[in-house]
Amino acid sequence: MAKRQEEGAGSEIDRVIHEPARLLITAHLYVVESADYVFLMGNTGLTWGNLSSHLSRLEAAGYVEITKEFIERKPHTMVKLTDEGRAAFDAYRRQMKALFEDLPG
Amino acid sequence: MKDRDGLREIERRVWLRTFEHGLWDLAVGLLLLSFGVGILTEFYWISAIVVPVGLPAMRGLARRAIVPRIGHATFRGRRKRSLVHVQLILAVLALAGGGMFAFTAFATREAAPEWATWVRSHFIVVIGLIWGGALAVAGWAVDYPRLYAYGGLLFGALLAVDLIPTGYHLGHALIGVGGLIALVGAALFARFLRRYPRHPEPVDGADDG
Repeated sequence: MAKRQEEGAGSEIDRVIHEPARLLITAHLYVVESADYVFLMGNTGLTWGNLSSHLSRLEAAGYVEITKEFIERKPHTMVKLTDEGRAAFDAYRRQMKALFEDLPG
Repeated sequence: MKDRDGLREIERRVWLRTFEHGLWDLAVGLLLLSFGVGILTEFYWISAIVVPVGLPAMRGLARRAIVPRIGHATFRGRRKRSLVHVQLILAVLALAGGGMFAFTAFATREAAPEWATWVRSHFIVVIGLIWGGALAVAGWAVDYPRLYAYGGLLFGALLAVDLIPTGYHLGHALIGVGGLIALVGAALFARFLRRYPRHPEPVDGADDG
């Protein structure tokens, strides 16, 4: 698992999710059950290569499950947030909320 | 991601994007159009043919024209359920189309109960209420505001046909409203095809950077 975490102010920030492009991907996967590459590209504005490399990182962390299949002899890749990924995103949301709420006015 | 983009907004934007192509509008329009044609040609069960033929055709069109452009996603929870609900509502709408004509035959019998005669004398308004209401409920179920407008338009058109003696009747009104909705759907679909180019997945998963 390639998860790196940042210590500070009592919070542990999940760097795998914290990276902006991966945060965007994870947020979009969080609100759906599963999505294909084209859907994620269109909604995140990432290029094919960027999306692919960030998804590999998320997959290595165990946060997403990637399923490749062929539909009418054309490749089709579906991506799904795993239970671990969903829990990590929930934890990240809580941490970030707590972090910003702790800031003095 | 803009700061104001909360998860709820992301979810709704992503959800509504799956309606941007206009195929739903086209389906509703063609269904009403088929009712209208069925009435004018006295081929009342046309909707029983249009739905089993039309739905797979729409699915095929979606797979070939929409998925390569905006991709495919499956939704969770209430969104997933609402898609099932709206398909049920459309199926009931189609069956009700045929059922209402069977009811008319029943209500024109001499021994028909008084309430049936009353409904028969306000047949068009009752149809408008049922179908317009069904469209509005479908709009609420899938969080798709255009369906409210279609429901209102349908009810308004049928009410006008019933109240204003123009010589037009139910069939004409359904063809008019269905045709208009189908045209809106076709225009949305044409815009969608222009706006979104195809993005086929590279066979080898080639990296572009």
